[in-house]
Order: sequence, then structure tokens, then C-alpha cells
Amino acid sequence: MTKQLHKVCRELLESGKVQVIIGYGQKDRGQPPHPVFITSPEEVEGLVWNDQCVANLTTYLTRKEIRALGKPAIIVKGCDARAIVVLQRESQIDRSAMVVIGMACNGVGEPRLAKCAACDAHVPAHVDITIGEAVSEPVDPERRYNDLNVFMTQSTDERMDYWQDELERCVRCYACRQVCPLCYCERCVADKNRPVRFSTAPTLKGNYAWHITRAFHLAGRCIGCDECTRACPAGINLRLLNLSVARAAENAFGYRAGLDPEAEPVIGSFSTQDKESFIK
Amino acid sequence: MARIGVFICWCGENISRHVDVEKLAEQCAHLPGVRCCLTYKYMCSEPGQNLIREKIREERLNGMVVASCSPHMHLKTFRKAAEAEGLNPYLVEMANIREHCSWVHHDVKAATAKAADLIRMAVAKVRRNHALSPIRVPLTKRALVIGGGVAGIQAALDIADAGHEVVLVEREPSIGGKMAGLSETFPTLDCSQCILTPRMVEVGQHPNIRLYTYSDVEAVEGYVGNFSVTIRKRARYVDISKCTGCGACWNACPNKKTPSEFDFGMGKRSAIYVPFPQAVPARPVIDANACTMLTKGKCGLCAKKCAAGAINFKDQDELITEKVGAIVVATGYKLWDIGKEQENAKLAGYGEYGYGTYKDVINSLQFERLVSASGPTGGELRRPSDGAVPKTVVFISCVGSRDNAKGMSYCSKICCMYNAKHTMLYKHKVHDGQAHVFYMDIRAGGKNYDEFVRRAIEQDGAQYHRGRVSKITEENGKLIVRGVDTLAGEPVTIEADLVVLATAMRPADGVETLAQKLNVGYDEYGFLSESHPKLRPVETNAAGVFVCGACQGPKDIPESVAQASAAAGKVQVMFSREEITREPEIASIDERMCAACFTCVRACPYNAIERAEIRDRAGRLIKRTARVNPGLCMGCGTCVAVCPSKSAELEGFTEQQVYAMVESLG
Repeated sequence: MTKQLHKVCRELLESGKVQVIIGYGQKDRGQPPHPVFITSPEEVEGLVWNDQCVANLTTYLTRKEIRALGKPAIIVKGCDARAIVVLQRESQIDRSAMVVIGMACNGVGEPRLAKCAACDAHVPAHVDITIGEAVSEPVDPERRYNDLNVFMTQSTDERMDYWQDELERCVRCYACRQVCPLCYCERCVADKNRPVRFSTAPTLKGNYAWHITRAFHLAGRCIGCDECTRACPAGINLRLLNLSVARAAENAFGYRAGLDPEAEPVIGSFSTQDKESFIK
Repeated sequence: MARIGVFICWCGENISRHVDVEKLAEQCAHLPGVRCCLTYKYMCSEPGQNLIREKIREERLNGMVVASCSPHMHLKTFRKAAEAEGLNPYLVEMANIREHCSWVHHDVKAATAKAADLIRMAVAKVRRNHALSPIRVPLTKRALVIGGGVAGIQAALDIADAGHEVVLVEREPSIGGKMAGLSETFPTLDCSQCILTPRMVEVGQHPNIRLYTYSDVEAVEGYVGNFSVTIRKRARYVDISKCTGCGACWNACPNKKTPSEFDFGMGKRSAIYVPFPQAVPARPVIDANACTMLTKGKCGLCAKKCAAGAINFKDQDELITEKVGAIVVATGYKLWDIGKEQENAKLAGYGEYGYGTYKDVINSLQFERLVSASGPTGGELRRPSDGAVPKTVVFISCVGSRDNAKGMSYCSKICCMYNAKHTMLYKHKVHDGQAHVFYMDIRAGGKNYDEFVRRAIEQDGAQYHRGRVSKITEENGKLIVRGVDTLAGEPVTIEADLVVLATAMRPADGVETLAQKLNVGYDEYGFLSESHPKLRPVETNAAGVFVCGACQGPKDIPESVAQASAAAGKVQVMFSREEITREPEIASIDERMCAACFTCVRACPYNAIERAEIRDRAGRLIKRTARVNPGLCMGCGTCVAVCPSKSAELEGFTEQQVYAMVESLG
């Protein structure tokens, strides 16, 4: 697969179809792969593909510095590809001005990431070039929410205690925001200072406000790449919050983010068919 | 520096009874930024306003709070007073210490404390107010009227007579609507066509009215004062500029078997037809589904007979764009088709009455055609099944109206009156006949209305039974009507020759799609929503769109006409100015911060936000952004709520103001 990847990327750069390849590089097998931005055909040998390629590179698509490099080709897994669909739907990228290279994937991470257990996108959808082969099997939707279901068996008090312990650790470094491909605002609401909407100090109160706001802003948008959870230096289990809003969108509107580039996003759109059962 | 005046109103005893206004004034005088604090018995009275003006002058106030009633009542009053003294009206805030406080809290101590909180919030807000000036948008002084029934005709004529151009769009081949098909009208029994057709002719000849019949409103773009409306002129297959309306074509047409829409299926018409002799325009259309030339390519007799050469079998739909500044919706009603099949699972229909199964069970509009001089029987009352003159006729009220279980919960309002009229018309035509009416209540409020119903009962001998009909069956050519007379407390069975159902009035087909195009609200039944049921009865929440007639709710002719003139009046008020001024309390987008996710574009209920691009002088794209169209924005604030980065702001209710209000409570 890596050889084929090199060939494809070399052709793309040589033909001038793209000016930059956003992909994975790796110093040696023991170290985690890191993002690389390849601009010349000679450098394509530096690209790697293996089951340690955890990062979701789509977050770089909206970065000014990367945009300045020219028309990109990007290497994605099935889960990452969904972020491109959302970015496209939210007018953040010009899909026709990029090449998306999808890698067939049987799961990443050592041990395997939680999201991989219920993956139904081993073969990426809505990509331009697919490399490798894998079988995408339909997954029982509830399996995607396994962690959440287990968590929800606890009492309200227990869950409150859990979040208190988790969120107390947050130092407000905003790594979760930086790594998220869908946190692309020019100025995050957390940085707005007239008025200050919630405390920016790493206190429990401000931390609650930040993490609830972050989760709400991703409602019906989060594609479940779990990069925020991976990036968090305090190890806060943000995945649970994301799963919770994702399930709300799926249950109330039958909507999963990033599956269909034509679908109306749930937030800010209205249909007379919408369920009203949650209005009390 | 803030120099704010606080003016506390007693509202007679309305406020002062439960709020200690003097103590309140003492407290509020010390709020930061407050320069003076006064109380007065009636702040809205002239001496009260003068007091305010005096203080603005003396204390050189740069903001003020009036603590009194709801801003709905008197915000305008106080803003005008401030403006007269040179203070920008948008630097005036109100604290509602009446509806929100003294009327609902009767503990003086607690009510006074709450009033102080409300004033503190208003002061915190007004300190962050900006001077605003009204928004001006250009205005096209032309109106679109949708629907050419009596309401649309009245509205169009009123606006046209005032000297403005009107575009009148009618779906049917002729204007006239339901009223053109009525026989005589209550409570005067004057002939419906005789009073309507002169108005129709006036529309047809009016130099200021552009009439599109057999046409639909396809799309509406733009905003108040500047609408761009696409009209689909459906293929008529007759060139009306050549046609003289001589009638050779419809006389020649061999296919005369199509049920006439105008006669509600009581009569037949040809494939090329004018709906009725007085039609405006008096030009035929070809029914493409019935004409054998159009379906099978055979016949063409009408074209051969047409001396003017007006028939064009290759005619196509045409799309026309008209620019207008105001829109009047007058799409009217239909009678509910109460047969077994219903479009909506919530509606059960009234299969037990056999409508659609028994030929002699008809609805009230069909009855109108049977007794109309221009109707299919020439005004002689003959029943549909065998043409016999019915000797016993049963009229049933409230079929589908006032029925929460399987119909509409509202009263259709006009049926009590037309049922009485029908019994009279029947008696005048069939002297030895007997009319029966089953009713729930007789609702005859209106000038000369109750007298009219009494006349039907006392002079024309109609028998009224207070009760419902449970079932109608057919036996030996008779309709057996089984009902109950709840006043006599006994069941009633009548062997009738004809049964007339006063079915519920419902909005015309397609009104919901039209409402969506116009951004006008509608209720669960599809009736269009007015802006305020009492004080803004013909305005809608879409600026520049007005409603009149039965599309807004069940109405009789006088009411529809009055409402049409009211809507026309509102249009003329709009057109009396050179441009439109609008309240400046609308949204704006911080284009530097907007991330162009366009969630606001989707969420805006008024389609007031558009996608825009910012380019440099060389035309290179710098960034995309959402942008508010000030002509369309109604200041609802939905965009502020949905914007993830909070780059949307509502003038007069900025986030800083709202946060300051909340924080002032802490």
C-alpha cells in the first residue's frame, strides 16, 4: 500500500495537479507518525502508511499556512473522510480544488482505538482515490455508543462526580480545539471578550462552560475521530461528551455527521417532519 | 459619561398600589450613571411627558429609563418625547414594572424589590445603548395581489384607484372566485353575479391593473418594497390578443363531457371553454387533459372554426418576472371534500353521509349552482340523480366544523347564514317543498343577520332541528336521514329527496406552499397568520405581505371586502412614502470574525442573511462571510443564538447589553 501511495503522490505532484501532499511521516517504526507536508516529488518516499497513523489530518485543510502552499492532496482514513464532507457542507473548503486519497484501514493505534471497534468505514467514502482493500461491514448502531451506554448505567450523582473529577483537570490549553478539524472559527467564542461569555480561568465553573459549549457546537457535526480525546494532555474523556450529542442527533433527527454531502445539517435547519418529542 | 434619567410611573394605582414608588425612586437615584430619578402619576400623560422633556433639557440626559407599562404600550410615546428634545429615541429603555410586577405580585415589599431589579437591569442596558437611526430601503410602488376572488378584486381596485400599478394573479381562467358562482347573497338576497360582475369588468378594463389569469406564483424573491415575483402563465392554447370571445370554438367543440369546475361538477363543459358567460377575461382556455387534439392529435375543430386564428395547440407555459413593493394574499377558501378518502390521517371524513356515493347528497356550493339562474339547470331546482324537483330537502350544518374528533375544531362562520338563505331560495322556487335544517347552534351575529334567519323560519317555514345527523342511507330513490332533535329529545328520521351538506370552509389548495414562498406563517389548518389578531389584522409577520379574505380565516363577503380594503389601505400607506423606513433594531454580522459556516443562513426564518464575499481591489477573494440584508431582517435574533463564534449581533439587544443586564442582578 505504501508503494502505491508513493506512486500516486508522485504522479499528483509531477503532473502539477496538486502542490502539496498532506500525509504521514515517521522517523522510525518505534515513534508515532507525524504530519508531513510534501511539496516536491523527490520527497514522497518520506510518506508512510501503517496502523500507527492515528492523526486526523483534515484539520490542516483550513489552516492559512497550509492553504498558502497551494492546491492540496490529503491522505485520509474512513473516519477522517467524514470531516471533509462536513467541511464541504459548511463551505469551509472547495472540494473540487483538492484531491482526497482514501486509505483502506482495518483500525489504528496500539492498542486499537475505541472508535475502531465499531467502525463502519474501513473503506473511505467520498474520496477521489482509494488505496488498498478492506471490507466495510454494517455495524449495529448501538455498538458505536457502547462506552456511553456503559457510562449511563451509573446514577446521576456518580456521573456528576465523574465529570467533576475529569473537568477539574482541564488546564484550558485548548488542544481539543486546535486538533479538531471542525473547530475552524476565526475567533472562538471562548476568546470573545466583549462580553466574556464564560470564565477563561481553569476553574471548574469555567471548565464546565467551555466543555459543554464545545460539545454543543459540535452537535450534529462531530464525526467521532476522537482526536480531542487523544490530544488532551490531562486525559479528559471528551469522547463521552461527543458520543452523547452524536446520539442525540441520530435519535432525534436520524442524522449522522459526514455521511452525506447533500444532507441538510441538523443545526439551523428546520423540517416539518422534525420530531417535537423533546420540546417539553 | 452616563447621564441617565429614571422616570417611574404610578400608572394611577395600577403600579403604586403594590409597588412603593417613592422608596423605589430613592433606591434608583443611587444607581451608577443615574443623574435623576422622578415619579409621576401618569408618565404617559402630557404633563408627564413634559416632565421628561424638561429633565432631558435641564440635566442634559444621554439616556433614559421609563419604569411603567409594557414597551408595547408606550415605548413609541416616550421615544417621540425624547426625540422632540433632541435625544436619540433608541437611547430610551422601558422597565415593565406593571405587567411584569405590580399586576402579578401583591406583596408590596417583594414587588418593590423586583421593580428595583427591573430598573437596575434597564439602566445597565441603556448605559450600553447606541444612538441608532431608522433604516431606509428603496420602494417599488407596485403591488401584487394573489387571488382574483372578491377580496382580491376589491384590494386590486382600491390600490389601482389610488394610482398605483397592480399585478393581479388568478389561478383559474377567469377572476370572480367563489362569489361569481353564488346565486343570491345574505342578508339582502341580491344577486351575487349582478353585484360582482361590474367589479370584474372594472378590473379587466383598469389601466393600472395587469391581469394574469390561468397563472400561478412560481417564486418570490427579495424583500419589502423590493420583491421580484416569478409568475407562471400556464399554456392557454388560445392567443387572447387575437381572440374576440365570439364562442365559435366552444360551440364547435365535440367533447362536452368534462365536469364543469365552475359548477362544482353539477354541469358539463367543453374541452375549450370559458368557465361562465361573464368571465373576465372573456376568453377561452383549452383543457389539455380533455382536448383530443392535445391528447391524441385528432380533431382541431375549434381551430378550423376560429375566424381570428387564435388557437395555438403548441402554446407553452411562460415565466414572467414582475417587480413589486407589496403583496396582498387573497387566495380564499374551498369547501372540505368530506368523502371517505382524506389527505391526512388525523381527519376521518364523513363517510356516513354518503357524499360522493349518493348523487343527491351535495355540498352547499353545488346547491348554489343548482339554484343559480346561470347554473346548469337554468335556475330550476332539479336534483342531480334523476332531474326531479325535490320536495323535501335536508340541510346539515357543521359538517366537519366544530368537530374536534374528526374534523376542524373551528366554526366555519358563514354556514348558519347561507343555510337560512338556502331554505329561503328553495321555498321561493319550490312552493310546496319543505326544508329541514340540522344545526348545533345558530350563529347569526351581524347587521340584519338574525332577522334574516328568523325570516327563514317564520315566513318561509324552514324546520330547524337542533341536533346532529348520524347516518344517511338511500332507499327507493329517497335519502333516509337519521338524526336527533335534542330540544324535543327524540330521534328524527326524514325521507329527503336532496341533502345539502354545509361542509367546513378550508383554505384553498396550495396555500401552504405559497405561504412558504412568502415566509408567511399559517396555523394547523393552513389559514394564514396575521401579525396581531386585533391590532394588525391584515399585516403578516413578513414585512410588505398582507392578507385578506378567507385565506386568513372563515369569512363572509362583507368581511372579506372590508378586509381587502383594509389591506389595500395598508399598501397605500406604504406607497405614500418615497422610501421605506424600518426599525434599526436588526442583526449585523461581524464580517472580520465570521467563519462563513452559514448556519445563520439556514436558520434565518426571514431569509434575510446571504452569503457574501470580500475581495480586494484586484478582485482576489479575501474571505467569505454571511451578511444581513437590512431590508429583510426582522430583528428576531435567531442568528445570534445559532452563531457558534457569536459574530452575529442584534442592535439594541447586543450581547454586551444582555450580559450587563444579567450581571446587574448579581
